[in-house]
Amino acid sequence: MICIGNKLYDKISVLNDYLSKNSIHKIYVFSPDKIMTDFKIDAEYISYKNIIEYEYFYRLLQEIDQYSLLVVDECMRTQNRNDLTYNCLRHYINQAGHIIIFQYLPIISDINDFMILFDFDTKSQWKREKFDKELIRQSCIKVNTIDLSFNQINIDTPENIILKYEKEKSKLFSSIGLRDPDVIPRNLYLITGSEKIKHIKDDYLYVARNNRFKYNNIRTYRDVVKPDNYTIFEFPHNFIDFTDFLYSSQQLSFSILCTNIKVDQWYTDRYYNWLNNLRDVYSKIQ
Amino acid sequence: MFIQKYNRDLNVLDAAKQRISFIFDNYENVIVSISGGKDSSVLAHLALLEANKRNRKVGLFFLDEEVVYQSTVEQVEYLMSLYPANTNRLWLQIEFDLTNATSFEESQLKCWEKGKHKKWMRSKNPKNIINPPWGNDVIFRAGYKWLDFYGVIENFERMYNNTAFLVGLRATESPNRWRAVSKNPVYINGETVFYGTQKPQNNVSYYPLYDWNFHDVWKYIYDSNLKYSKIYDYLFKKGFGINEIRISSLIHERSFKSLCELPEFEPDTYNKLTERIKGIQFAQETGRNAKVFKAQKLPNNFKLWSQYRDFLLDTYPYQDKKEIFIKRFSKHRENEFVARQQVRQLVLNDYENNVPVINKEDPRIELINYYMEVL
Repeated sequence: MICIGNKLYDKISVLNDYLSKNSIHKIYVFSPDKIMTDFKIDAEYISYKNIIEYEYFYRLLQEIDQYSLLVVDECMRTQNRNDLTYNCLRHYINQAGHIIIFQYLPIISDINDFMILFDFDTKSQWKREKFDKELIRQSCIKVNTIDLSFNQINIDTPENIILKYEKEKSKLFSSIGLRDPDVIPRNLYLITGSEKIKHIKDDYLYVARNNRFKYNNIRTYRDVVKPDNYTIFEFPHNFIDFTDFLYSSQQLSFSILCTNIKVDQWYTDRYYNWLNNLRDVYSKIQ
Repeated sequence: MFIQKYNRDLNVLDAAKQRISFIFDNYENVIVSISGGKDSSVLAHLALLEANKRNRKVGLFFLDEEVVYQSTVEQVEYLMSLYPANTNRLWLQIEFDLTNATSFEESQLKCWEKGKHKKWMRSKNPKNIINPPWGNDVIFRAGYKWLDFYGVIENFERMYNNTAFLVGLRATESPNRWRAVSKNPVYINGETVFYGTQKPQNNVSYYPLYDWNFHDVWKYIYDSNLKYSKIYDYLFKKGFGINEIRISSLIHERSFKSLCELPEFEPDTYNKLTERIKGIQFAQETGRNAKVFKAQKLPNNFKLWSQYRDFLLDTYPYQDKKEIFIKRFSKHRENEFVARQQVRQLVLNDYENNVPVINKEDPRIELINYYMEVL
């Protein structure tokens, strides 16, 4: 069973309901350290990073049987469907009698990400197949749609900042050498921050890529934030950081600070596209 | 076109036994290649059981590279001793060239080199084959003027006709190699066999464990109470990942990283190795350094991989092997993505092309052009 879009209390409720209907001898919960959750049940909690460790791998292969329940909680961490951690999880899953997969959002960025969850639920029978609306009917999928929305707040940028941006841009392109090309948008994005910071309000909470401005009301994507109302100061480059933030903040509607510098609009467009993609996935998996 | 049918009702052990039985039915001469690793140990045991059941003999072929773990030597000796009445001991300890990826000064190790017996890692065993069994009738591989590892194997196999060579290759461990060896099925007595490769002189290489996964191998070792190389235990204790826990040679292009842990695992072997060949201490210290053998980071002295490659080529000490690199690189594209891989080949002294170059456009350039357009 794949459960999409559940918050903690929903997950506990799903688990308790499942346990009352099935004979389970032992429960294993797999979850990333960062968002490891106490489900208030008697279970062994195994961190995502430990899934591949020998001290767990061989013991679990010996222990897991038809009476074991595996709770795979928020374990979609990479888009590589053949990732070693996923492969190890599959070995555990293949031996277990009961599986519940919890994932807040059904993708990281691409519809085929969903097939990672689908593989878990179908014991990897269709591991070579791409996303297919008919194929996923093989799986029991319970979807609670997370209806996100973005609202762009435009900030006018003075001419001197635009000039600074253009100067930095040509410098980055000419000196990129052998460095990762993603350095270009990442570094250019930082320039827009120095303009945006003039527009933040003391009584608002913001989320940014890092804590370079040392403001008390700015959190970073690395923080495990409490549910609240955050304004997006800037987006992270990697979608997984944003999905982690969405899970811990549980926020649905976001205001986004956006200057009229090209890179800012590029990042904002990139996340609007991501949002459209997410909505499209919801329509296909329901 | 044939479509291969896979019998999902049969477990991999029973399937392997059936395959080995089929091979024994069809070949009078069966030889298992062993390395001292877990896969070939299992394969040798299965073949020995079948030979014992039929009161026949099976050849256990071990090409001794001299510079191997002591645990490997012990494991091979153990396999040879399991069913002596059913074993043809084909343990080759002969002189041949082995690439030494750890040193440019001594880029080749002549294993078991004549006149250097005082420096050998250990003495030859008189029970083994200690002189080339093909006498003076040696052939060299195309493009080679010396006898290398694969050259020895070719010469060895050339001595046989109608022989089944069993290899412990598993598809999950090396999908590319598996695809290469299995694309042309073997036709034997009316049957199409997909787990084999036709060789000259009607010899065939068979891969009876092709569908085993690593836990199948360990289960068999446990269930059969077989001994296995201690190196696996050492690697296990060090917390190596599932895909890293393997026994390999100590000095060639793909395995020099084993040297990093060798002093901990087998201090005596490490000591002997440092006296035997140059470059060992350096590789032991830098085997995991991104700027050295891994060629993942460009040394500070160079701005481009192509500059570094040209420097390595200019200063390459052996003209004959330098020609091999120059000829090979002339067929490659000229970009940084390719140049980095060429550097890796040069640093590892991989004139045999064991770590091949992916010859394609630099994916970074496409992305940089995109950013130039949109930002």
